[in-house]
Amino acid sequence: MSTLTAQSQAAAGPTPGRGRARQPRSRLARRRRRAGILLTLPAAAVVVALLGIPVGQAVYYSMTNWNGLTATWIGPGAYATALSDPTFWRVIENNALLLLSIPFAIGIPLGIAWLLHEHVRGWRFFRSVYFLPTAVSWVVIGMVAVQFFAQQGLMNKLLADVGLGSLQTNMLAGQRSALVALAITFIWSMLGTNTIIFLTGMATLDPTLIEAARVDGLNRRQIFWRVTFPLLRRFVQFSFVITVISAFSALFSLIFVMTSGGPGFGTTTLEFFVYQSAFALGQFGTGALYGIILFVIMIIVGLVQLRLIRSEDGEGW
Amino acid sequence: MRRWSLVAGVAAAALLATACGSSASSGSGSTSSPVTLTIWHNYGTEQNATALQNLAKAFEKIHKNVTVNVVSQPATNYFALLQAAAVSKTGPDLAVMWTGLFTIQYKDFLTNLKGKIPAADFARIDPAALKWTSDRFNPANGPYVIPLENQFYIGFYNKADFAKAGVTSVPTDWSQLFAACKRLKAAGYLPFTYGNGGQPLGAEFYPWYDMSYMMIGQYPLSEWQKLYSGQIPWTAAANASQLSIWSKLKSQGCTNSDVLTKTNNLGDFESGKAAMIVDGTWDTQKFTSALGAKVAAFVPPFSSAPIKGVVDFSGDGLSMTTYAQHPTQALQFLEFMTTPQAARIINAAGLIPAIKGTSTTNPVNQEMLNFVSQDHMTAYPMLDNVVQPNVVNTGSKELPSVLNGSISPSAALASLQSTQGQLPASQRGTSYP
Repeated sequence: MSTLTAQSQAAAGPTPGRGRARQPRSRLARRRRRAGILLTLPAAAVVVALLGIPVGQAVYYSMTNWNGLTATWIGPGAYATALSDPTFWRVIENNALLLLSIPFAIGIPLGIAWLLHEHVRGWRFFRSVYFLPTAVSWVVIGMVAVQFFAQQGLMNKLLADVGLGSLQTNMLAGQRSALVALAITFIWSMLGTNTIIFLTGMATLDPTLIEAARVDGLNRRQIFWRVTFPLLRRFVQFSFVITVISAFSALFSLIFVMTSGGPGFGTTTLEFFVYQSAFALGQFGTGALYGIILFVIMIIVGLVQLRLIRSEDGEGW
Repeated sequence: MRRWSLVAGVAAAALLATACGSSASSGSGSTSSPVTLTIWHNYGTEQNATALQNLAKAFEKIHKNVTVNVVSQPATNYFALLQAAAVSKTGPDLAVMWTGLFTIQYKDFLTNLKGKIPAADFARIDPAALKWTSDRFNPANGPYVIPLENQFYIGFYNKADFAKAGVTSVPTDWSQLFAACKRLKAAGYLPFTYGNGGQPLGAEFYPWYDMSYMMIGQYPLSEWQKLYSGQIPWTAAANASQLSIWSKLKSQGCTNSDVLTKTNNLGDFESGKAAMIVDGTWDTQKFTSALGAKVAAFVPPFSSAPIKGVVDFSGDGLSMTTYAQHPTQALQFLEFMTTPQAARIINAAGLIPAIKGTSTTNPVNQEMLNFVSQDHMTAYPMLDNVVQPNVVNTGSKELPSVLNGSISPSAALASLQSTQGQLPASQRGTSYP
């Protein structure tokens, strides 16, 4: 601390913080505080009962060999065993590869939303069409995707019809190609939700800014990148958050219907691995362990996203 | 004070009355009051489901006060449902249970039937069937399951297709199988059809039928425990060699090209388009109904030398849960399953009863029995029932890709080996648990 700063603080009076003598509260303030605590207690109790206790139990059971009826304590070594399992790392790799689809799951709806916002011909019709995936169950989407990607499916038929028969492939039969098929289906599933988010965002923009940019001589593309996109930042961030969370924890139904996690472990994500361990193999302890790992990963992803959002606002955590 | 004493007294009396009432209506002691016995199964619409329904009807006729509620649960997560129900004690009185290590895995909520069912009833059951339902696979320890039937993992072939293609004898080893494939292909038939057997969701074909025969072709029965213990590693060169030859079935055009995604493989066989299929006794009736005398059973010849073993195993049956609401009636039902009347019902559904002294009237089922009784082949258990469930799970995921040519045999076997290596030592001992 510089001398000048120290002098300024001395002149300003006692340093706020720990050293400051606590001001006596008024009786009304104390009563309000007590009432606030009392009124918060039921909600806090519900959160602890419905969230805190199960999470604590899951942490405990993750270190046991638990079949739902009897639990044998293993200890933290259970985590070491799980982390040394190559299958676990294969599953994490699948999750990481699926994250590569996020830019497409955001970029394509952003482009569509921009075209719709520009009121291209038939935009009302296309707005309904692009929202359709949101209204359809993911199970149905998965069933349709299986038919689309099948060897005798629509995709291969289309390829043959346009003279690209040599590119025909059974995408769901290869480990990597099945993951690509899953990613494409995921991107399509997110299309409606993200398009609507961006359309809503564009509707909130001040049209005079666009008009001013146009007067300044910017073309459509420049207006999008220099004006519209920066102003949509909040909506892009929101879309990013829900898309990442969906990629980690909402793909179960698609995977279950399309590939059951196969071929091999080619499309098994951590979320699906939790289900398989607990409910296919009846090893609830192992399922809890992978669930805790998924929980920790989601916390980290959430914190990073929070950090990115707040740092752009000039705020800390 | 006096008022509190009065309230406490009334409460105690009410509790006592409730307790007495509940014990009287528990069903364990009464045999004449109306009772609804609940049975869960995962048979879907297979002929096992028909057999179970008919057993229930016959039992109701004998026990007028009992109504049997047969509940079909989804096969995909049947054991998860059963386990979850056991935790909350809301499951059935009786449940279909797979034998071997599946039984041992779930025995925490299954009743050991030793001393619960008369020894004379046990004596009527094929001893080989009872063996695989007991701790350490020793019937003296008491079974947890009363077997419903004797099952075979088995090959079915179309005699007419074979004749038209000029295949004059049933193949008994790999070389004969590939030769037969060549002839069948030339005659315009699909030699082997693979698929998920019509399951509604996109699961792949179940590879443990074939894997059982590959290991039969490689090891005598006495060696199979070493696959469980790890004394024979999954990555052994002999195993890789078997898988490598197996994968040639597809690469040489003996199978359909979409082995991982086909769903109507049973239809291919029933229509005569495909000449061979590896399946099980649960579909015998379906095939005989569709193909009549054209269908016959054969032992999948996944062996370099003429194959000497066949999977003949009581793969499933009924267990009584530890929390059964009506144990008396549940045990009566299990006893009924050991009777000649029950055997006739099981046979009528196209299955092979596991009751001594009974027979099958289905000629294709009889052919399977003849493999053991007349051809003196060794009866093997189902491999997936005698290796660890984790290994089975990994194999179910990896092995189909080997046939498809997507991954190498060594990679798939390394995955099995890795899964086995992750298990605690107690789950890969030199004796079964």
